[in-house]
Amino acid sequence: MSPATVAEAIERALAAYADLTELGEEIEDEWSYVNDLASAWRDRLDAVIADGARAGATLDPAVDAAIDRAIDEIGRITDPHRAIDWLSTFPQVTLLALGETP
Amino acid sequence: MRFQDAARDGRAIVYAGIQADPLVKRAAALLADATPAQRVLARAVMNGETTNPDGWMATFPSLFGSSIPIGPERARAEEILAASLAVAERGEQVRSQFRGAIVEETTAILLARRTGDAAVRRERRILFDGVRAEIHPYDVTVERDGAAEAYDCKWGARGINDDVLHQLDDARAHALEEEAPLRAALVVFDAERSCQVRLERLNAPHAGTAIVPLESLDRLVEGPP
Repeated sequence: MSPATVAEAIERALAAYADLTELGEEIEDEWSYVNDLASAWRDRLDAVIADGARAGATLDPAVDAAIDRAIDEIGRITDPHRAIDWLSTFPQVTLLALGETP
Repeated sequence: MRFQDAARDGRAIVYAGIQADPLVKRAAALLADATPAQRVLARAVMNGETTNPDGWMATFPSLFGSSIPIGPERARAEEILAASLAVAERGEQVRSQFRGAIVEETTAILLARRTGDAAVRRERRILFDGVRAEIHPYDVTVERDGAAEAYDCKWGARGINDDVLHQLDDARAHALEEEAPLRAALVVFDAERSCQVRLERLNAPHAGTAIVPLESLDRLVEGPP
């Protein structure tokens, strides 16, 4: 299998992030905040791949594995309150793995 | 304007025990010297579901990758990971209290580097002439004539709410009425982007309240935020 690109890794991260957002939405009082927060961080992750050259760059296997590990971490969350905490934390972890500033 | 110790009720006594826990002191001392990335590591691990150190090291290649040399930075990252895992292993309810206490202690350490230990106090109320006192104390205060500061501390952006913003803004405004300047600030162990999203949803006045997010904690050492 060929090494993942930055764009592919971010697509994977965003798919997992969508599931996390859905879990956070279970806290009805925070529904709008959850969606505003998710939108703000999706925009930040999308900005990384807006640059075509960066999007197509091949990932170091350690970075690829780091993003998979972060995806695995949020996939274990069942508590919607903790999901909201991770709606902020997960993009920061992903961006740091990619060598970006959150 | 004057400062006063908070009432020593049952909750305060229990929380004082947490504040004095060696793990809180250890984690805060490490985080006061940490880089922004190391602080994100602490946030992730203390919020995390898993407690396998190898897994977390793999999640942060910029801190633990094979290209990161053995040295003080890596050693600090390893110590932060160990302390954060020790917090995470305390269980959900306890770790929530520990996280809050760690943010407060980190704030106090950073402020003391600028003002000296004697000026930095914890759990203090601020009283103004003719104004009903707030029940809730401020997490950290800097008590100096003509240059007082009041801080509330939050683990995450979600902790920012209208009540805390009103309390900080009221204190600042009352101090101004007494011509005793008071800098009011909210320290949040979360990203600035998340804090901004939270603030946009709230109605309480906050233009006069400084927000000190995770990536800017070191501003506390440089001067009043």
